[in-house]
Amino acid sequence: MNPSADHSIALESRGVHHWFGSKRVLGDVNLKVLCGQFLSLVGPSGCGKSTLLRAIVGTHLPRRGQIFLFPKGASQGMPVTGPGRDRGIVYQHYSLFPFLTAQDNVAVGLSLDQTSLPFRVFCYPQWRRLRKQHQQQAADFLAKVKLADAIHLYPHEMSGGMRQRVAIAQALIMKPEIILLDEPFGALDEATREELQRMLLALYDENQQAKKLGDKPPYTLIIVTHELNEALYVGERVVGLSQYWDWKKEGHAEFPGATITYDKPAPLSEIKSGRDFEKFAAQRREIHGTVFNPKNCPDRNEHLTYWKTGAYPEPKSVSPAGT
Amino acid sequence: MIRRPINRSTAIALGICSVVLLLGAYTWLANRQHARNPDDTTIPTWSQLAKGVAAATEVNKRSNDRWLVQDLKASGFRLFVGLGLGIAGALALGVIMGCFGAGEAFFQPPLSLLAKVPPTAALAVFFVLVGTDTEMYIAMIAFGILPALAITVYLAVKEFPEELQFKAYTLGASHLEVIFAVILRYVFPKLIDAVRLVIGPAMVFLIAAEMLVGDVGFGYRIRLQSKLLNMSVVYPYLAVLAAFGFGMDYVLKLVQQKLCPWYEGYRG
Repeated sequence: MNPSADHSIALESRGVHHWFGSKRVLGDVNLKVLCGQFLSLVGPSGCGKSTLLRAIVGTHLPRRGQIFLFPKGASQGMPVTGPGRDRGIVYQHYSLFPFLTAQDNVAVGLSLDQTSLPFRVFCYPQWRRLRKQHQQQAADFLAKVKLADAIHLYPHEMSGGMRQRVAIAQALIMKPEIILLDEPFGALDEATREELQRMLLALYDENQQAKKLGDKPPYTLIIVTHELNEALYVGERVVGLSQYWDWKKEGHAEFPGATITYDKPAPLSEIKSGRDFEKFAAQRREIHGTVFNPKNCPDRNEHLTYWKTGAYPEPKSVSPAGT
Repeated sequence: MIRRPINRSTAIALGICSVVLLLGAYTWLANRQHARNPDDTTIPTWSQLAKGVAAATEVNKRSNDRWLVQDLKASGFRLFVGLGLGIAGALALGVIMGCFGAGEAFFQPPLSLLAKVPPTAALAVFFVLVGTDTEMYIAMIAFGILPALAITVYLAVKEFPEELQFKAYTLGASHLEVIFAVILRYVFPKLIDAVRLVIGPAMVFLIAAEMLVGDVGFGYRIRLQSKLLNMSVVYPYLAVLAAFGFGMDYVLKLVQQKLCPWYEGYRG
């Protein structure tokens, strides 16, 4: 069931459908994400990437189907029923609490998670001591993402790049099962973008080190982006969600919603070497043609070759109790 | 040219000029009036004003207390308790309306209607419901400021970005923590802004009620002394009111700066 550390599923989307009134958004989205995987989710605007992400975060549950999480040691999937501390999220905007400094923004998760409101009110001295520890942890974490000088700045005093760095630290410090990034670098200039992409590659590197030692890789990540170069550069696997697929062939009378039409490995990128987007050209064209082209509606399984050509065979679905 | 900044010393000098001019004009007016009628009390001279201040601050033979102390105690108590209850109620109502759709649907219609009724006009209602004691002044101030404050809180909660709410959940917050540790912190400086704006109306409600039915307090004293044309007492009372409003505003601004250092820059 859990054959080896680098084989276990972290998250599974099983038959996820979503619609708003008569407007179909997601139709039968099936996806398995492995522990330690860096997955890029791409798709044309309006294809439902954000809807899928919201379903995973748990703020907007799918109308049909379920998202399962497989926390460490769990042999069965835990269905997502709402937002929780096991999934971290980094948004493009509003990613930090405006009333907290960088340090407190990172520390607040530890505090919210480990203490309760009554504890903070009625056990004030203990709370003070614990808060000191959390702040120290946060300061150490911020030093790791090269923000040691900025820990006392408020979000509005920081640049966009610094803010997203803090936001990533804020999510990472919780050690979530999976981290979701929703167009995280969309509002940044190119140089800052590159810097932050390298930061993610450094995390990927930590995963590889852990795998070498036979440990569980610490970070699993889904990054939603419309920038194909970014998707191919940061991710090790690119998944395309698209409304352009041949649904008539599957016997639907009406459009059932966007589904996954592309799932292939991406070339591994080294942090040290420069960003060479030229080498992505062929795959970029392929993704453009299959995922982004309204005139081309392929069979949805045609480009789902990740498990055939990737490093691992497809893991079996583990049925949760009662389904 | 319009909108061009002037330098600081010029600005200060002009400010001093305006005050000096005001005092000078008053002195001239008072002297002219007293040249015509030495017994005039409508525009008291500075020496008359000093006597008025003395009358207000000396122990009064009849009541065996100082007017100003008596009035400050009575009006101050009414104002602060009224403000406190009004703010607490508005905060609770605003948060309930902002956080829960049912609360919004339930409270919004009566609130927007009641917000349009001037509390001073509804004096008789308070009169009937809570009598003419201290409770009436308190109720009047509390209900007078509540609609405006509650709507401010409600709108501030509504505009809190939902991404931040979701994020709080992913960081392990409970529903109560999202309200008390996240949303209220965001709303707090906006509430202080709103409180600064309702101090003036609260004073209007209080003075008006005291003028109509009070037997002690600022409104009562001002009405009484105005009837006697004792402007030498009325003017110092107005000055105390102005100083109080000014001081409250300053203190609230200071509290906001100390407790929410993020707010000024965030607002941009």
